[in-house]
Amino acid sequence: MTFVERRGTMAQDGPHSQTIAVIGGGIAGLTAALEAAETGYDVILIEKEPALGGRVTRLNRYFPKFCHPTCGLEINYQRLRKNPRVKVLTMHEVVAVDGEKGNYTITAKKLPRFVNEKCTACGECGKVCETEIDDPYNYGMSKVKAARLPHEHAWPMRYVIDPVVKGTDDQKRIEEACKYGAVDFSEEEEEVTINAGAIVWATGWRPYDARKLETYHYDSSPDIINNVEMERLANHDGPTGGKVVRPSNGEPAKKVALIQCAGSRDVNHLPYCSMICCLASLKHAAYVLEQYEDAEVHMYYIDIRAHDKMQTFYERLKVDPRLKFIKSKPAEIGLGEDGRPYVKGERTIDRELYCESYDLVVLATGMEPEAKGVDIKGDVVKDEDGFVLALEGEDGGQFSCGVAAGPFDVALSTMSGTAAALKAIQAVGAR
Amino acid sequence: MTAVPTPSRTYDLSFARWVRENVEGGDKLNMCMQCGMCSGSCPNGQEMDNGPRKLFMMVRAGLKDEVLSSSTLWECTSCYRCYVRCPRGIPVTTIVQHLAALAAKEGYAPKNKVENYFFSKAFWWSAESFGKTDERLVTMKYFFSFGFGEGIRKALDNLKIALGMIKAGRMHIGLPHTIKNKSQLKAMIAKAKELEQKG
Amino acid sequence: MSDDIKIGIYLCEGCGIAEAVNMDELEQAVANQYQVAKCQRHAAFCSDEGRAVIEKDVKDGEVNRVLVAACSHRVMTDRFNFDGAATVRANLREQVAWTQPPQDEDTQAFAKDNVLMGIAQARTCDLPEPHENVVKSEKILVVGGGISGLTAALEAARAGHEVTLVEKTDQLGGWTRKWSKLIPSRPPYRGLIDNPIEDIIKAVEENDKITVMLNTLVSKTSGEPGEFSVTLSQGGNETEDVFGSIVVATGWRMPDDMTPYEKYGLGKIGNVISGVDFEEVLKNGLEHEGKKLNTIAIIIPCESEAMPYTSGVADRIAIKQAIQVMDADPSAMVYVLHDNLRAHGQAEELYREAQEKGVVFMKAMVKSASEGPELVIDDLLLGREATLTGLDAVVVQTGMMPNSTNPDLPMAEKGNEFLCDDVNPRVPITINGQPAGDGDEVKAEAAGDGEEASAVTPDCDPENPPLPGGPILNLQYRQGPHIPILYNGFIDSHYICFPYETRRTGIYVCGAVRKPMTTAEAKEDAAGAVLKAKQAINLVKESRATHPRVGDLSYPHFGLDICTKCRRCTVECPFGAIDENEEGYPKLNPSRCRRCGTCMGACPVRTISFKNYSPNMVAEMIEAVEQPDPFDEKPRIMVFACENDAYPALDMAGINRREINKYMRFIPVRCLGSVTLMWVSHALEKGYDGVMLMGCKSGDDYQCHFVKGSAIAKERIGKVEETLRNLMLEPERVSFEEVSIADSKRVVELLDQFGEQIKGIGLNPFKGF
Repeated sequence: MTFVERRGTMAQDGPHSQTIAVIGGGIAGLTAALEAAETGYDVILIEKEPALGGRVTRLNRYFPKFCHPTCGLEINYQRLRKNPRVKVLTMHEVVAVDGEKGNYTITAKKLPRFVNEKCTACGECGKVCETEIDDPYNYGMSKVKAARLPHEHAWPMRYVIDPVVKGTDDQKRIEEACKYGAVDFSEEEEEVTINAGAIVWATGWRPYDARKLETYHYDSSPDIINNVEMERLANHDGPTGGKVVRPSNGEPAKKVALIQCAGSRDVNHLPYCSMICCLASLKHAAYVLEQYEDAEVHMYYIDIRAHDKMQTFYERLKVDPRLKFIKSKPAEIGLGEDGRPYVKGERTIDRELYCESYDLVVLATGMEPEAKGVDIKGDVVKDEDGFVLALEGEDGGQFSCGVAAGPFDVALSTMSGTAAALKAIQAVGAR
Repeated sequence: MTAVPTPSRTYDLSFARWVRENVEGGDKLNMCMQCGMCSGSCPNGQEMDNGPRKLFMMVRAGLKDEVLSSSTLWECTSCYRCYVRCPRGIPVTTIVQHLAALAAKEGYAPKNKVENYFFSKAFWWSAESFGKTDERLVTMKYFFSFGFGEGIRKALDNLKIALGMIKAGRMHIGLPHTIKNKSQLKAMIAKAKELEQKG
Repeated sequence: MSDDIKIGIYLCEGCGIAEAVNMDELEQAVANQYQVAKCQRHAAFCSDEGRAVIEKDVKDGEVNRVLVAACSHRVMTDRFNFDGAATVRANLREQVAWTQPPQDEDTQAFAKDNVLMGIAQARTCDLPEPHENVVKSEKILVVGGGISGLTAALEAARAGHEVTLVEKTDQLGGWTRKWSKLIPSRPPYRGLIDNPIEDIIKAVEENDKITVMLNTLVSKTSGEPGEFSVTLSQGGNETEDVFGSIVVATGWRMPDDMTPYEKYGLGKIGNVISGVDFEEVLKNGLEHEGKKLNTIAIIIPCESEAMPYTSGVADRIAIKQAIQVMDADPSAMVYVLHDNLRAHGQAEELYREAQEKGVVFMKAMVKSASEGPELVIDDLLLGREATLTGLDAVVVQTGMMPNSTNPDLPMAEKGNEFLCDDVNPRVPITINGQPAGDGDEVKAEAAGDGEEASAVTPDCDPENPPLPGGPILNLQYRQGPHIPILYNGFIDSHYICFPYETRRTGIYVCGAVRKPMTTAEAKEDAAGAVLKAKQAINLVKESRATHPRVGDLSYPHFGLDICTKCRRCTVECPFGAIDENEEGYPKLNPSRCRRCGTCMGACPVRTISFKNYSPNMVAEMIEAVEQPDPFDEKPRIMVFACENDAYPALDMAGINRREINKYMRFIPVRCLGSVTLMWVSHALEKGYDGVMLMGCKSGDDYQCHFVKGSAIAKERIGKVEETLRNLMLEPERVSFEEVSIADSKRVVELLDQFGEQIKGIGLNPFKGF
């Protein structure tokens, strides 16, 4: 072998990185990142939103324990605070990945936050900011100042400013209000590249667009909402302070319909079962039953899929006479003449046709993988629905966990996040 | 086409399997997960005894007599809502109509139901296609609804009348007439169906 | 040592603190306190310039204890971290500036007290010196040779560890060996896959790093992560070995009680077979007892009829088997009788595949079975009763019972009560105060045991443990040989957020012993458990704590000179970290310890302490608060708030600028389990008018991050009444509240209510003494 050839080989091999990049800072990604870091590996955690926590931070409670997601997240943030091995990049949206095991190049769009790390979260910018935007934390169900802390449990605890204020009087006011030199409107969207030896996809999910379910007329009434909006409605820091009310008029939502498989198990929409919706809806039933003694909740379903330990949860709720289970996939939902949404279809058990009015209709929309639109090259598999899977066997350096990998619940997400951490460690060379 | 088997016991699958092989769309019937979307969507659902969902379950259960005597077969107006909405992609309308044809052939259906059904279907077909009823086409379609042989027989029976009408200038020869702005007619029909459903 | 203490106080003026508090006054009040070497102010200590001020003082040796009086300790943690100086925080922002009216006399007092408490804390808090942990072995022990154990062994070997895999039978493969085909877990999620178990077994056997021991049981385990001493018994031949950590993958067994399946004819009627046995039929090309099967009903029992935890797996197996029958004989007639068909996730595709192939799914209840076999069913969708005749066979999908015990072994002689060490008894969900669900599930409250004084004793009957059989690892722990279970026999953990964290550090559980799962899920689960096993060894090497206080270097010290051998610490530790030596004194296994401080809270003589967290430290903090003159009519209430949930909720009240009752003073605690009743009585003796404990939810759906801490605190506080009576005080002065992290609104209300309650009772008569 000549010298040149040897150099050539080296160049081909490239620098071998032992850093693990985790894409997505939701519960699966956080778990993967922390488990790897606590085992002694360097991790870059890449999140596109201004704060970590992903979907779960927007949930009110977890099934079946009825505990709050922020409780587990708080522990994870404590772990993160104490672990210098994890580098967190927020507002970085991964657009492409290329390369091979030991040497990946991740291209990310760095979105302007207009607030740098000097921010103390004192809140002065928010006080002077006059522009309001639809609050992305509440899925647009409420307004929020354009300069804001993403939410009360935001990590990092740092403000973010929406680009709409750029060039307005608000910009000047905000700049003047900040005493810590933390506001920086010169930030521009830029492309950055990140190198890593292994990649864990933890990009999670988004709710299936209910507008695509044409016969459910999601847009016809604010009282027809989806399941993630229901979580916000029941959450103490949601748009109603935790009161389950009709978004149209603020009146109590006592008669509530929960519609299963809004998108899932449907070859015209999402062919798979999203796994979590039945249990989430049972939880939603409990929210309503808890708040109103004279509540009436109807759960429309094809099958109640209370998997593994969750059956107990279902059995425990089933006995409440105010909760009725109707085996039917509603054919049509719309706004009735009385201003309330109606649900229409066939009750399959007794073959009766029904058309019932409700205060609130909650569509249990399924989970659609966020990775659907990302350009992923190389040693990884993306299935028809957009789920990402590692190569079979032991060759690849890209792995996945959480809903990036399939329709999982949180317990499966943390499990797969931990497993993905091990796979990534094995890929970069266990030591 | 083999003879339609009569199940020997409950849930004997011979009838269901026969439907799978011999009825158009029947190969998809077993995909039904009994969600009720089709029956709930049907604008004529109130008139039906079983609705397509239950009908399909009855096919699986081998309830041949009940299936072929079901009013569901005759109340279908071919609006295709069930077909379009079915989360399992089952051609519900096609299956129901071909079961209706089977029922007619097997002598399950009341005579008037069969005739009315075939005629109204032919009439609607013409009206929706051309905005007009073309007597020739409606008649021919109606005749052939009873099957090919029966269609020829009925057509020959009526040949004399037809020729007389042409002579008298009451029936034209050539392409069927259509109305202008057929798309607007379609919109009107769609709206009418929607109102009917709501009412 | 105390002579050398030089405290630097850094009063931050940022984030509205200077607007709310008179900083000059504050500085004057605290700068001259005992051992305070320096007091500085800055507009923002978190800025580079501000941080440099502190760093310089530390570097110059002017201070060796840093008190940052600024924001909550939950923020800027990494910023305020100085080499060589213990750093403590006084919360002037979230708790004072953001929750109190500005420039008010009470606000000023609040700020001052917080700094004074900070000084007391700085004075009594040392940098932790790590325990000298030894990792004697980095080898991983895997118990169980089924799919989970085999995968765990391979994964651990790939991660660089030597592995010993023990299997109690004479061959590897477990249940998976029986399976004819497996459910696909990869796209296109249809088309059954060949069972790879033989290849996996071969890979394990050929792997240099893996030692397989068949016919082997773990007869004894002692020690701690990094140095588990394990006695392995291979057909009575005992060998000893040392392991760094342990993965338990003992899987599942058929239910001990099969009577619920008798109604389907299982075990009673010919040609009614279990789903497990049906796999053999499938392997034999549908031949059963010399006859080729064609017409088959597969029953997925309704959950409430059978076991509460078989769900999902049985359904998917039923679909899989139905597909296999159709693949073998397209003319076959297969009926799957189900209630709710749990083909969740990607299994929906498998369901479709089965239907395409002609399997008939029926939502039906089986009412009875008779010879033939024949089934009388209630077809729910046709609304009629029918008899299924002409069946060649009926297949019944049975449940999976977790092997958290070994049914082949006799029950352990003692320590069975810790198998279900249940200070968190199962309670039904209550809605509007009304219990929903089966009342039978409610267990009696924990009963006290005179022998153990006030120690919390488990309510599990040692004679009749919830699972029969002997222990898997036979742990030589004070708290018995078992790994505690939560309910239904599954090993206890925070199974949503932190599924692998069992209550025995360094021992991680995977596969069907953790929850019912399929082969593919078990493989994934095994990888997760191995990661934790590797991580535990890694952390022990660095003398750091494992989850959830990962990296913590502190650990409890026991002052044996005044120990009374009461055994409360050894019994109450949620993780079984403390044993007793021959003389009956507590013996800590530091690598098992999770640093929650429950032992510290248990100790009646206050002789257990951490370098940076001790009974003395909190007592000093309690004393540091100035009690107002009784004539001012201003109560002082001490709140011990769990730093995991309650304290963050308080912080978030501040972030939302909600006014917190001005008479409250807060001390964050590692866990309510670490709160000793002495602090409560001390506070009342020192003139506080009330004491509140704020911690996580206890009970079946407990949220306590240390499992039992909150429940133990509740139990202890139930016994405080007598102490109060002795002090001639009203029991209502002490309150226990369970709050969640989402209670940023409710905490404020709770504090106000308690404030009102105390006002109603009147000021503490001890005030001023």
